[in-house]
Amino acid sequence: MVLKFYASPFPVAGGGIVALALAEKQAAFDFVPIDLKTKEQKTAEYMALNPFGKVPAINDDGFVMYESRAICRYVDEKFAGQGTTLVPKGTKERALVEQAVSVESMTLFPPLDKVVWEVVVKPERGLAPDQAIVGKGLKEISDTLDVYEGILGKHRYLAGDDFTLADLVHCGYLPFLVEKGVDIMTAKERPNVARWWNELMSRPTWVKLQAEGMKSTV
Amino acid sequence: MVLKLHGFALSTCTRRVATVLHEYKIPFELVPVDPSKGEHKAAAYLEKQPFGQVPYIEDDGLTLFESRAICRYIVDKYRAPAGVSPLVPKDTKGKALFEQAASIEYSNFDPYASGAVREKVFKPMRGLPTDQSAYDFCVSTLSAKLDGYEAILGKQKYLAGDEITLADLFHIPYASMLAAAGCDLMTTKGPNVTRWFNELTARASWVAVKDGAKSFSSY
Repeated sequence: MVLKFYASPFPVAGGGIVALALAEKQAAFDFVPIDLKTKEQKTAEYMALNPFGKVPAINDDGFVMYESRAICRYVDEKFAGQGTTLVPKGTKERALVEQAVSVESMTLFPPLDKVVWEVVVKPERGLAPDQAIVGKGLKEISDTLDVYEGILGKHRYLAGDDFTLADLVHCGYLPFLVEKGVDIMTAKERPNVARWWNELMSRPTWVKLQAEGMKSTV
Repeated sequence: MVLKLHGFALSTCTRRVATVLHEYKIPFELVPVDPSKGEHKAAAYLEKQPFGQVPYIEDDGLTLFESRAICRYIVDKYRAPAGVSPLVPKDTKGKALFEQAASIEYSNFDPYASGAVREKVFKPMRGLPTDQSAYDFCVSTLSAKLDGYEAILGKQKYLAGDEITLADLFHIPYASMLAAAGCDLMTTKGPNVTRWFNELTARASWVAVKDGAKSFSSY
């Protein structure tokens, strides 16, 4: 039975990065939309897949898992030998990818999550963003990107000269800021970050996903 | 040449790495970095760890930072000691369930546990005022997340299955500090979380480092 992929229908956030990983691996899947507006992710039926009541999740012929970055890794391994290699096999190369993936989840993501909550989620609920939180969060993100500027001056992508999971995981939440007119990714003071970001946003898999949305391949 | 762990004795992230070094019985040298003197922001340190965070390791020509990435590297490179099951499963599904558990730790546990500890332990140590509403938010969110843990740990011994993995060990440094931060959730949320927390903190590898990581050459 083909892999079932459960997520919100918009190619963003955790669902977006799993959709991108599936595309990078040229993987077949059946997309099952979960309606966040009606809180379908908190129903007993969905929580049987993910006890934390969050999207996305997969059911691969009875093998169920959740947590978007973990799903991307599983997909990389299951479809090894086709598409893009997201996590290299060599011990040192893999360690450097893990290092960069960890920076995204531990250092970049926490303030980014807070800013997205303020500038994207709250307005959708008719609430005003807290500009103090936004300002503090953007400063933290900018400080992290200053370090990325140095790293991306040494090699093409975050963990070396090849696109890996470390780059892919950045496509979930940063596009929200860009869409809201925050030009943090293409700021002139960080030409290497701008170059890297433009390459990510021009990847054919990303462009196709944004244009066509979440669609079953079968 | 012996593995060098650049960090400081009581650092949560340094002890996270030291726990795994002890689990795999790997000799290492702790090279002290004193953050109170700003040593982690000095130019020489930033050459190795450009984000100015603690710790990093030097091993066999590789410089590596991010404690969880270091732990994964140790398990990838070195064999588990005889009679000890590897801390990351080798089969595809077992490994995927480990990755899921590792992701649960950094998305559902670490932000709130470390936030609570920062407000009630680290900030007072530095003479900074506690933000009570930030602390309350961390504790109430952590409590809700631990409901998920209580459900999972009622069906299996550890977060990724019935064998311990790195994902369980990653929790220990901040989980063990919550009581000092005035939060008793690890022993009051439910019987399953309590059983798991008590087992983890009784492990010899944690007992060896809990009061301070130090260089270790013979196991």
